[in-house]
Amino acid sequence: MQSDTRSTAKERKREAIIREALEQFSKRGYYSTTIPDIASALDMSVGNLYNYFQSKEILAREILRYISRYLGNRIKEINESEETTKEKLFKIVDIYFKTASKEPEMIDYFLRVYLSNREVFQEECKGMTCVTEFVAEIMIFFENGVARGDLKNQEFFSAFGLFMGYLGGMAFLNGEEILPKELQEFSKDVSENIYNALKI
Amino acid sequence: MKKSIELIEKIEGEAELHCAYGTDGRVVDAQIQFTSARNIEKILQGRDPKDALIINPRVCGICNHAHLIATVRALEACYKSVKISQKSQICREVTLSLELIQSHFKWFYLTIMPLLGFKPAIEKALKPSRIAAEAIAAFAGQYPHNSYAIAGGIVSDITPIELINAKERIEALKKLFKESLIDADPALFKECDKIETMLKHRGDMPLAMAKIIENGWQMMGKSEDRFIVFAEGAFKKGKSIGTRVSTNISTGHIKEESIKRSLAKRVLYKDRGYEVGPLARAMLMKTALIKESHRKYADSIFSRILARVCEIPQLIIYIESLLHRLDLSEESWIDPGEFPKRAVGAGVVEAARGSLVHKVEIEEGVIKEYNIITPTQWNLGSGDIEKPGIAQKALIGLKNSDPIELVLKSFDVCSVCTTH
Amino acid sequence: MVEKLQQNRILWLSSLTCNGNSHSLLNHPNLDLLLQNIQFLYHPLLPSRYRLKEVIQNSYECEILVIEGSIDPTLKINGVKMIDVITRYSSIAEVVITAGTCSTFGGIFSRSNEKASGLHFREEKRTEDFKNIWQKSISLPGCPVHPDLIFKTIQMILKGLYIDLDECRRPKIFYGWTVHDGCNRNEYYEYKIGHHRFGEMEGCMFIDHGCRAPFTRGSCNKILWNGINSKTRAGQPCSGCTEPDFPAFNLWETKKHMGIPAHAPLGVPKRAYISIAGVAKAFKIERFEKRILKKGSAVEKKH
Repeated sequence: MQSDTRSTAKERKREAIIREALEQFSKRGYYSTTIPDIASALDMSVGNLYNYFQSKEILAREILRYISRYLGNRIKEINESEETTKEKLFKIVDIYFKTASKEPEMIDYFLRVYLSNREVFQEECKGMTCVTEFVAEIMIFFENGVARGDLKNQEFFSAFGLFMGYLGGMAFLNGEEILPKELQEFSKDVSENIYNALKI
Repeated sequence: MKKSIELIEKIEGEAELHCAYGTDGRVVDAQIQFTSARNIEKILQGRDPKDALIINPRVCGICNHAHLIATVRALEACYKSVKISQKSQICREVTLSLELIQSHFKWFYLTIMPLLGFKPAIEKALKPSRIAAEAIAAFAGQYPHNSYAIAGGIVSDITPIELINAKERIEALKKLFKESLIDADPALFKECDKIETMLKHRGDMPLAMAKIIENGWQMMGKSEDRFIVFAEGAFKKGKSIGTRVSTNISTGHIKEESIKRSLAKRVLYKDRGYEVGPLARAMLMKTALIKESHRKYADSIFSRILARVCEIPQLIIYIESLLHRLDLSEESWIDPGEFPKRAVGAGVVEAARGSLVHKVEIEEGVIKEYNIITPTQWNLGSGDIEKPGIAQKALIGLKNSDPIELVLKSFDVCSVCTTH
Repeated sequence: MVEKLQQNRILWLSSLTCNGNSHSLLNHPNLDLLLQNIQFLYHPLLPSRYRLKEVIQNSYECEILVIEGSIDPTLKINGVKMIDVITRYSSIAEVVITAGTCSTFGGIFSRSNEKASGLHFREEKRTEDFKNIWQKSISLPGCPVHPDLIFKTIQMILKGLYIDLDECRRPKIFYGWTVHDGCNRNEYYEYKIGHHRFGEMEGCMFIDHGCRAPFTRGSCNKILWNGINSKTRAGQPCSGCTEPDFPAFNLWETKKHMGIPAHAPLGVPKRAYISIAGVAKAFKIERFEKRILKKGSAVEKKH
């Protein structure tokens, strides 16, 4: 029992570090943020933080996995529902936009840290190995859409590129505060556009 | 008029033989009826042409490989041009020839010898056919029912290991031929041109042939004395009316006709029936021993049975010469490019029982029509009294006490092929 | 010995078939041993105690009934419906074996004949006609069935050994695993190395060329065919010939939905497959990138 509590506490601490680092990396950039910055924001010693993550690179990669799992889990729920392909697509877009507006650091991390500092992720995150959960769920959504006869059968990356490019672009515009209204209010139109582009 | 109906079994399925006898007790009409149909041609409609490579071997358990090779040839004929390496060409010929060998061994020992009153020698049938199957599998993955030949070549990478595996088995086949069929090397036996000489040897071939003479059956089962062979490779293409050979033939003149009461169709070439199979092939090749047999006994069961058994040594020699020329450094498969969306193609092959023709028509990238003409249709397709089929003619005139079943089975009937 | 023979009588009946299973059995290297212990009342190729006509007209005692071919209720042999002959002997026999995919699931010949089916199944669907003999049936699908499967099944029956069967009454010992098990292209599968080219030993055919081995039940790559090879080892994609849906369509091409295989390996959730495949594909492994054997073969021709 006691050890369970201890490990849960450790888990919580680990997540707290990830959340804090995620925010700082997204806001200030990967290189401008230091481990002591993160440690002091969490009121912990640098040494103790290193007990959780042996280096800044490891931490950066863990954050990526954390986001991927976070989004992946939400899309998984949608994938496992009985909804139509169109409805599922709306929900996936909506959850992405919701995350981008309510927890912008998550999406920012993807766009501003992961994609801009490839050298940090190159080796250990080859291909899409650090974002497996997220990509796998998008694959399952596509696969199911084709199997049901709703989506056109094509190369995965032709569809994935369209999908991610569009969502990423909207999140970027939102981040730059260019959009005239709440990002989530675009969910319907954007998901319809994607559906029309991918449908059979 | 006296009539009889016999169920002929163990002909790769069954058929009904309906005979009508005249007042002198001789057969005046014989109808061979196949009573099932499997419509494999229908299964192919609407499919990717390449699926035919998997489905067609399933026409027949004993000549499945011939159906594969006929299919791949028909598919390749759909392309404007297809390049195939000599290596894959050789492999296809080798595996096809091995199939003929296993079929002939099984037929001789499981069908013919018991009908001649000899005790069935199962191992003498199964050992060589098993070894031949193993040699096919060395190249093609398995036997029966592989699909290793595809447009552009074969799927297998033939390395020295596959070659050794095959060669070992060819050696074993040679030994078995010598041990059980006739005590001579295939190469030596090929030179034999006298029935008398053959009969003096030891082995089951002379034993069986002597028995036919002893029983006074050597002139029985004569038919039209017209022969046709469509595919080459181990054999020669052409037709032979008696011994008059003409090499100018075309599959375009083949016509299929429905037969009353039977689910099989008969086949004619320019409106005439022709015998296909080993005797036809020997007539075209002018095989010395069969030539003499034909001179003495015409196209009787004696010539027909002897011709089939004599193909075994001839095919062994053929396989050896092919393997000798096999260049392993060549490609197994040369990409023929995308399959044509609209095309027609035909493929012919000499199967164990004779010429096998496959024709395919492709439209919008899928099979629109597929047509298979099997050797047994040539030989067993019935006609009427004025224009009897080949086997029908062979049976007419026999007495009830004559070896009717032997005459029929001398054609090595394949029911399943006929009812594809 | 004679007494034992009397108790091991096998009747082999054919319906709509190509005879491929009969011929396949003949390739078993120890068939003579089996023939010492059993007696064929009828076999389509082997010397038998009775003629088919007698079998059809009478009701002989037999212990094992083997059925080959799709069962077509309209098919008559010698004026008798084959289905009636099968019904009669299946009630006499102690064990009924369906040899091959046709007699098990309907197979190839049920595709052009709506009435034809397997003994207990038409593709995946259970049929009713023979449900009273369900408990004594053993399914040995395959097109054809591997000779050793018939051989060993008969041996197990003769020796009174327990045969663990699955929900389609297939012996688990033969059909519990997939044809993929034992394929010599497994390394390429593990790392999702597609670029398979026909005529080469390298590469996995599941990625692009329609290989159905990872979701086809069978032992082809463990017991091998004809003792030396298998289709996938040679380079022919597995066509799934033991499965209820044989023959599926487009057998030389892997069906994909947006690049993702429509069929995941047997029992593997698509999510698991996609995740593992994604990781595997991320790495370029030099050993698998190039051919191991020289072009065309392992040796250059001696000149």
